[in-house]
Amino acid sequence: MSNKKIAVRNLRLCTKDCLCLYVCPTGATDTENSIIDPEKCIGCGECALACPSAAISLVPADYPEQQPKTNIVISALNDQAQRKSSTEKAASQIAALMADCGLGYLLEAMARSERLVTEDIMREAGYMLPQSSNVRQLLEELVANPPTPSFPIETAKKLLKLLP
Amino acid sequence: MKYVCSICGYVHDEAEKGIPFQELPADWKCPWCGASKSDFAPQEEKEASAPIVTDASDLSETHELQKLSAGQLAALCSSLARGCEKQYKAEESRLFKELANYFTAITPAVEDATVMTIADALKEEIAFYPTLKATAEAAKDRGAQRVCVWGEKVTRMLYSLINQYLEKGDQMLEGKDVWLCTVCGFVYIGKDAPELCPVCKVPAWKFEKISGRN
Ligand code: SF4
Ligand code: SF4
Ligand SMILES: [Zn+2]
Repeated sequence: MSNKKIAVRNLRLCTKDCLCLYVCPTGATDTENSIIDPEKCIGCGECALACPSAAISLVPADYPEQQPKTNIVISALNDQAQRKSSTEKAASQIAALMADCGLGYLLEAMARSERLVTEDIMREAGYMLPQSSNVRQLLEELVANPPTPSFPIETAKKLLKLLP
Repeated sequence: MKYVCSICGYVHDEAEKGIPFQELPADWKCPWCGASKSDFAPQEEKEASAPIVTDASDLSETHELQKLSAGQLAALCSSLARGCEKQYKAEESRLFKELANYFTAITPAVEDATVMTIADALKEEIAFYPTLKATAEAAKDRGAQRVCVWGEKVTRMLYSLINQYLEKGDQMLEGKDVWLCTVCGFVYIGKDAPELCPVCKVPAWKFEKISGRN
């Protein structure tokens, strides 16, 4: 893991064609698809300072691994995640059977709420970063042993290729 | 005496308000978050220390570490999709969303699910939080402690709402909308979203009105 940083541009904030193009020493900001070229960017930060829309931030080129977790904490987190995902399922399956009505909306909101909390739990259970070795291992296992024949195996393979 | 809302921390100070807590009407709601009277507890009450998980036999099921269920994998993948989005990795985010949708679709239905069984399930989730917190504390795992803070409050709110529904039926929702905090998952029933999320304190525009599946 190095301290190298690279610039990324938030396209929702960027107003296009202005200061970062002039200050960048390597031309990394000048791309057709507006995504700063990670091959050219040297992480000097000039573009972020110059941008009038605060559209550019510098992010680590690679991330450290998540702090190690004890198995017992992971098991306890997984235990709660399992409860929550089954409550999510129960709420969404009842909501799906109901016409548009108050209770249907309430149950749908509950299902989404349970998902948000479960996501938070799964991040802490060892899957914080998309580019971590845990995620890679998981994807590799899914490709080797697809859970069902309809598993989108190409999707998992593409991810393995795209993630560093 | 002071009574504290277990969800958002609102304090009903009897001396200041001039109304004993017990005399508030039965359908009185927390002015900040909409929780019920039963979600309040006297301030003095110290939390009893919870048992911690020391080995897998303390858990409701044994979880092989690498064997996650479809439901867990669905949340794991949608969380990674979010993570990629934050890193401006649009393509990776889309791919993780595809995986999340697949796992959501193959998650087996819960047999005989009713509003009542959901209430029971939420009660069990709430009951497990003290143990989860104590286990995380014992392991000095700050991240795991952190997910308990919002998670427990949000879960208590769901339990409060489902009980309000079981008591009042559709009347509880009449003329009101259902709002979801897209950051922490807090659910609110009202004409408008709260100005600040009572749990995670983000502003009203982070709330989404849940008004139909499409
Ligand atoms: S950080 Fe420096 S090299 Fe990278 S895009 Fe910005 S100005 Fe160009
Ligand atoms: S300076 Fe900022 S707003 Fe202007 S083109 Fe660059 S990123 Fe976009
Ligand atoms: Zn919130």
